[in-house]
Amino acid sequence: MRMMAVFQKGETLRYIGHLDLMRTVQRCLRRSNLPVKYSNGFNPHIRLSFAAPLSVGVVGQRELMEVPVEDGVTEQEFVEAFNKVSPECLKIVKARSISDDFPTLMSLVAGSRYTIRVFGSPEADAAADAFERFMALDSYVATRRTKSGENPCDIRPFIKEGSIQKTDEGYEIKLESITLDNGALKPSLWFESLCAFAYCEKPQHIIYRDAILAQPKDGPLMPMEEYPHV
Amino acid sequence: MPVTIDQLLERVEKPSRYTGGEMNATVKPINEAEVSFAFCFPDTYEVAMSNLAIKILYGIINDLPYAVCERCCMPWVDMRKELMDHQIPLFSLESRTPLKDFDIVGFTLQYEMSYTNILDMLHLGGIPVKSAQRSESDPIVCVGGPCAFNPEPLTAFVDAVMIGDGEEQIVELTNAVREGRKQGLSRMDILRSLTKIEGVYVPCLYQDAYNEDGTLKSLTPVDDTVPAVINKRIQVNMDEAYCPTHPPVPYQQVVFDRIMLEIMRGCTRGCRFCQAGMLYRPVRERSVDKLCEMACESVCNTGYEEISLSSLSSSDYSHITELATRLTAELKDKRVSLSLPSLRVDKFVQDTLTQTQQVKKSSLTFAPEAGTQRLRDVINKGVTEENLMETLGNAFSNGWSAVKLYFMTGLPTETDEDLAGIADLAKKSAGAYYAVPKGQRVKGLRITCSASVFVPKPFTPFQWCAQDRPEEVERKQQMVRELFRPLKSARFNYHDSAVSRIEACFAVGDRRLSDVLYRAWELGCVLDGWNEYFRYDLWLKAFEDCGLDIDFYAHRVRAKDEVLPWDHINAYIDKSFLWREYEKAMRAETTRDCREGCNGCGLQKVKGVCSVCG
Repeated sequence: MRMMAVFQKGETLRYIGHLDLMRTVQRCLRRSNLPVKYSNGFNPHIRLSFAAPLSVGVVGQRELMEVPVEDGVTEQEFVEAFNKVSPECLKIVKARSISDDFPTLMSLVAGSRYTIRVFGSPEADAAADAFERFMALDSYVATRRTKSGENPCDIRPFIKEGSIQKTDEGYEIKLESITLDNGALKPSLWFESLCAFAYCEKPQHIIYRDAILAQPKDGPLMPMEEYPHV
Repeated sequence: MPVTIDQLLERVEKPSRYTGGEMNATVKPINEAEVSFAFCFPDTYEVAMSNLAIKILYGIINDLPYAVCERCCMPWVDMRKELMDHQIPLFSLESRTPLKDFDIVGFTLQYEMSYTNILDMLHLGGIPVKSAQRSESDPIVCVGGPCAFNPEPLTAFVDAVMIGDGEEQIVELTNAVREGRKQGLSRMDILRSLTKIEGVYVPCLYQDAYNEDGTLKSLTPVDDTVPAVINKRIQVNMDEAYCPTHPPVPYQQVVFDRIMLEIMRGCTRGCRFCQAGMLYRPVRERSVDKLCEMACESVCNTGYEEISLSSLSSSDYSHITELATRLTAELKDKRVSLSLPSLRVDKFVQDTLTQTQQVKKSSLTFAPEAGTQRLRDVINKGVTEENLMETLGNAFSNGWSAVKLYFMTGLPTETDEDLAGIADLAKKSAGAYYAVPKGQRVKGLRITCSASVFVPKPFTPFQWCAQDRPEEVERKQQMVRELFRPLKSARFNYHDSAVSRIEACFAVGDRRLSDVLYRAWELGCVLDGWNEYFRYDLWLKAFEDCGLDIDFYAHRVRAKDEVLPWDHINAYIDKSFLWREYEKAMRAETTRDCREGCNGCGLQKVKGVCSVCG
């Protein structure tokens, strides 16, 4: 049996990288005394995996992890035991027990939903002003920094939908991005590109990932936590 | 719009060095506290969070209902620049309060080369760097830790010094500042009230005078209300001492990312170069029961996957086998591994070896310190080559293949023959590995020999000794390096002679060095402990600008009757004992471990403190 847990990676935690977050969650699980399963070998570690790593600086509203547990642990027990011992900015919102034949979460990732909170400033106005024109482009080539170096990449195909709204503090941009053969798009790269397109400095902003998406066969994109199991 | 701390965080490397919010970090509201304490570590977060003192004292102060303790570390170069460019004062990890707004700002002194960081952190935190320039509303700046036993070079910057174990005196000091503030006492009156606390030294209340040859003539209290001698504090019973079982757990990886179980304080060996071995006397052990309880609590509270036993000489712990057995049994189900660091080669029992590997194998570390038996006798390191080879043989046949050996170069009386002995030991260690039959040993032998440069330290028998001049240090290092060339599986690393030279000055220096420290910092010296930022040229200029001579401090043999800058600090180790040890060293005579019989170091005169001499 495995537990799929929806968790929040709060604002104070947004600068923690993927591996550090993994270690932190493992330590929470140890503290919780939940009957999770360990790997074998001299250096046993909890068999934990995340659906999709979150880039450093982004707040995760509904991130997903999975961990094998002994049979009999209830979803409620899991959530309570974990939250009792986890830091304020790292809480499980919901858990769902899944059977061993449920696909790995990582293999289901089809996209992500983001919110970019932009704080009001002349730069923010300039970026907002350019938003519709930017979205109307058929292609936009940006430089993607990966382990193998800097590569030009058309970022437009990654964006499925996007909208912008004026708010009291500035603007709120909603984005839905999809994963392609060449991976996923970093929302920060998209935002940088928007600003470059608008010829403005990057305004103060915070990026949130609202959901990790999956796509059932022939169905629409949906939050992975609701992915139906046959 | 002014730049916020959050915006700075986006521009710097490893922002989690500055964000706090770790599991077990305190969440006490700072504005409701009667007294606030900023525990400052004059090095980066990764180094700070590996330190045991911060875990202990942070916990103790936060347990006080009236006080709050928050942490602050030296920002890395990128963050430091951002703070200066945007004029944002250096802030605490917990509530982002500027250092200047705390009642007490305390630094732990672990290493002389972190002194410029103290000046820098004060400045970045909005506090006048020099004590004399602080106003009534500025925090009381205090220091503690091993280097505080000779705090003289920091005189101009520090208001109060805590000598010895901090557990009790930090509470008394915090409370005294709280009372003083409550009563509206002046800064000077608060400082005077601190001198009533055993162990606390207020440097500005002492006057220095010098002889014509530049040596110290006297250091005397300004009046008779101030103690002429400051006695170090001793936490007598370790089972009753505070146990740091719920320390903050860093998100990012730090240097020692594990539970550190302090099994005992002090050491009975009496190695003559070792300052900690003298300062932390007498030896005080925790009971096995207490340690097992602490280990379990720590695992539950932190979730760490590894425990290490921490002390100056863990294998000397009276019940080491029982402790290792019980801990291994209790931790196995929790998948927590146990590692035994700083093991001494001579008492490293086979069964302990078998037990550690039950959970996990790590590389082994030994410190022969010197290459020949003669020199090991000089430094009173009671380890023989046979001990080392036997232990290594055991280790290699039990699955270890990586060994680290620590040495020192430039020890008093050292000859080229002693240096050649280092390479010789490496060669013999490889021999011990190849002596294990092929099927029984693990592949990939790695022998790493590291040599630091001898630095004379206060309160050691070598406090009178001179450090080798840099040319000589470098000649010796190159010589050993050449001898390592033909050794395939062994590596030789060595310390920078220039860094060690400045370290020596500040280890044994007097209060005139405050000027040099200030000048060096003014010239841009900071993060000197990080080789890439150490600026030898600026240090040389600082000494020159202040008219002080490095040779006088680092490369001079001191006379028996010379007044030493730390003579007014009482570590309960008699100067006559140290001199006796010095003379024995010169004759390559050893002194027995004090568990085998009292050597009369001075502690026997304090009743009921030393469990060994009674």
